[in-house]
Amino acid sequence: MDRNEIVKAVNSIFIERFELDEAELTPEKNIIEELELDSLDIVDMIVGLQQKFGIMLRDNPAIRNVRTLGDVYDLFEKLAAEHPEIVERLK
Amino acid sequence: MSKNMEKRRAVVTGIGAVSPLGNSAEGLYRALLENRSGIRAMTEWCEEFGRNIAGAPVVLDPAEVKKISRKVRRTMGNAALFAGLAAQEAVTQSGLEADFFASGRVGCVIGSTVGSASSMTEACVADYEGRRNDLSACHFFRLMSHSSSFNVADMFGITGPQLSTNSACASGLQALGTALELIQLGKVDAVLAGGSDESTPLVASSFQLLYALAEEESPEPDKLSRPFDAGRTGLVCSEGAGILVVEELEHAKRRGAPILFELAGYATNCSGWHVSHSDELQIANCMRAALADAGVDARDVDYVSAHATGTRVGDAAEAAAIRAVLGGDTPVSSLKGHLGHTLGASGSLELAAVAGMMRDGVILPTRNLENVEDCAGIMLPRETQQRELRVCLKNSIAFGGVNATLICRRFD
Repeated sequence: MDRNEIVKAVNSIFIERFELDEAELTPEKNIIEELELDSLDIVDMIVGLQQKFGIMLRDNPAIRNVRTLGDVYDLFEKLAAEHPEIVERLK
Repeated sequence: MSKNMEKRRAVVTGIGAVSPLGNSAEGLYRALLENRSGIRAMTEWCEEFGRNIAGAPVVLDPAEVKKISRKVRRTMGNAALFAGLAAQEAVTQSGLEADFFASGRVGCVIGSTVGSASSMTEACVADYEGRRNDLSACHFFRLMSHSSSFNVADMFGITGPQLSTNSACASGLQALGTALELIQLGKVDAVLAGGSDESTPLVASSFQLLYALAEEESPEPDKLSRPFDAGRTGLVCSEGAGILVVEELEHAKRRGAPILFELAGYATNCSGWHVSHSDELQIANCMRAALADAGVDARDVDYVSAHATGTRVGDAAEAAAIRAVLGGDTPVSSLKGHLGHTLGASGSLELAAVAGMMRDGVILPTRNLENVEDCAGIMLPRETQQRELRVCLKNSIAFGGVNATLICRRFD
């Protein structure tokens, strides 16, 4: 699964749930400070990612270390390699 | 009472409405003047009921909804959205400055039957289907009982008291009464107050179960809501919000605000014996207490905006109470023939229309009222009347045995 597919899937959550413009969604953006997600949004980001990728995240410590959008892409690149069902789901 | 113990007076300086007859207070009033109905066949509920029962849904403009910031909107169910849009209209009319909301001298009191009936249903379905993890972090905030109140407070940055008068169909009127009392007590100088509610199949079926819903399918659904009429078969479920800016009189005068009418007196009580059976004695007691609170003689009431929803027992009990308190010479009408029953919104939403009636000296009749039998002995106009309205009495009556009465006085 290439990174572009993951970027597209992750970005769709930020566009749909948080009404952000696609142009704002660059990897270096800090999710809280620059994209202005607050604590409720972070929970909804996790809910959205769980739905999109079909994998439980809320008890995964890795999601707590995410700071930038690029961190989310990296996490899912890693998870996709470990969980083939993610790749199947995005197809 | 000595001079310095006189009650502070409260006036209305802004009105907002979201209703099945349009999403502005003036639009609602104009539609009522034209005798239009907001009631239609709910084809989208046909699967749940097995036929097209009547209902009166609100239609929102997505562009208007999107004007509410995402971080407030995300925790709003439909009831809170209705309240937010109505509050925006009321605040705009009132001209309250944005920085005043954060002074601690502004309150927010909005009630609903439940925070969001549709959000509650969604949560139950998700739970039943094993999808609890799919629910948004915001979902619980949409269905909490005080959702409309805290969301509207957040919309405007209100930092004073935030309360929610959740007493089913008396919610809106209790909110306005509470606003009046907060101002009288000197706790605040202004309050955004009113009621909001949503209609869903679950809400309608709750009334159906109690034989209180006009549940037949009709080629003329707009004829089904028939308050005080001999042929009434129950209420038609509706939805909306009515939010008013209630403001201390001197404060309103100082800033040159538009003073639309005065909230002169208020009372609320309960029957203390039955959750669903209207109690004419306690309705009458509530009306008398509100008149006493306002210092108004029963003979000086020019018009009664009745609660009357179109149920067999409820309308007859209210008619009997009105007859006992005011006699048979005071004009009485119910706007639920046009609007259906907007539930927790009804008291404040109907008052939004009464404001237009007071301003223009107009009494709107009860739509679909043709034959009075068991509600006889009170004056029920069949046509629109021109008449000076100085004092109006508004009733709300709710499940739980709750009654509320507000006395409104034209401000000259």
